[in-house]
Amino acid sequence: MNTKNKSLLLVAGFSALSVFTLSMRTAFALSASPTRYLHVRVSNPATHELVRVNVPLTLAEKVIPAINHGQLRDGKVQIGNFRAENVNIHAILDVLKNAPEGNFVTVQDTGDDVRVAKERSQLVVHVSDKNSGENVDVTIPWDVAQALISDTNEDQLNVEAAVKALQNVDDTTLVRVSGRGENVRVWIDSWNTDAQ
Amino acid sequence: MILLAKLGIGVLVAGAVVSSEGFIHVKVHEKQPNGTKVNLFVPAALATTALHFVPGRDLKARDSAELRSCLPLIEAAIPALYRSPDGVLVEVKDAHDHVLVQKIGGSIVVDVNDSEDMVQVSVPLRAAQSAIHQIAEANSPN
Repeated sequence: MNTKNKSLLLVAGFSALSVFTLSMRTAFALSASPTRYLHVRVSNPATHELVRVNVPLTLAEKVIPAINHGQLRDGKVQIGNFRAENVNIHAILDVLKNAPEGNFVTVQDTGDDVRVAKERSQLVVHVSDKNSGENVDVTIPWDVAQALISDTNEDQLNVEAAVKALQNVDDTTLVRVSGRGENVRVWIDSWNTDAQ
Repeated sequence: MILLAKLGIGVLVAGAVVSSEGFIHVKVHEKQPNGTKVNLFVPAALATTALHFVPGRDLKARDSAELRSCLPLIEAAIPALYRSPDGVLVEVKDAHDHVLVQKIGGSIVVDVNDSEDMVQVSVPLRAAQSAIHQIAEANSPN
């Protein structure tokens, strides 16, 4: 093999290596999912108070199982008080799982409007307090609701599993509280700031 | 000539070791006229090394049991935080005060800006983990 051919072979080898490296990096970049964030924003226009919390879900996933304090142990929260009030979350979610979509509960009185429904694979709760002017909207993707009761007894909710399930949920607002005083919003997306 | 080269390499290696864990940066700016302005850069490696020479009794926390109970949380949080993308983690703002906790590079940066002072503290996460380990050891029940 002469020198020219050797050089050509060398150049071809380097080119092939570069293309391979580039394609591997591109493939990795395409397969790597963006970090998902849980955002909490509490604002009070009257007092100009603002609290913003942006937590990467990967961080929450690691931290929650490490918390063993109060009602939260091993990634699960004890909900003993709910049972004492004869509200069995497990039983309710089990029934809702197989129920068709639509309104389950609608309560309208002079004080409050309450609506619980299953819409687009999400559990939706809306509470409107006419006296305080406060509206509460809670939207729980069905997979997250299922994760909450997975691998638990009747007195527990699996927060760790719910956070893991949130990783696969589209951008959505989970909780919104609006009223005359503080406004609260809890949502997930892939932005590391809540400016979106 | 060789001696100078060795000395140069020694200085470079020492510099690399000292700055390997990044720098702790403390900036304090009192807003009053003639207020104090402090701008301190300390190699984090020096700070964690210095902790080895602090007597154990001085590292004892008032409630060591509570500190030990927080240790698994800190152990889990710091590596996860280290791998997290940069960004604002917490911001609290009202008419007078502004507190910002951010992750920038491998550090946690806390900014406090109120009517009297502006304080910024930046601590490399690895150094924080190392320091917390030492404090926890000093507070172990044995």
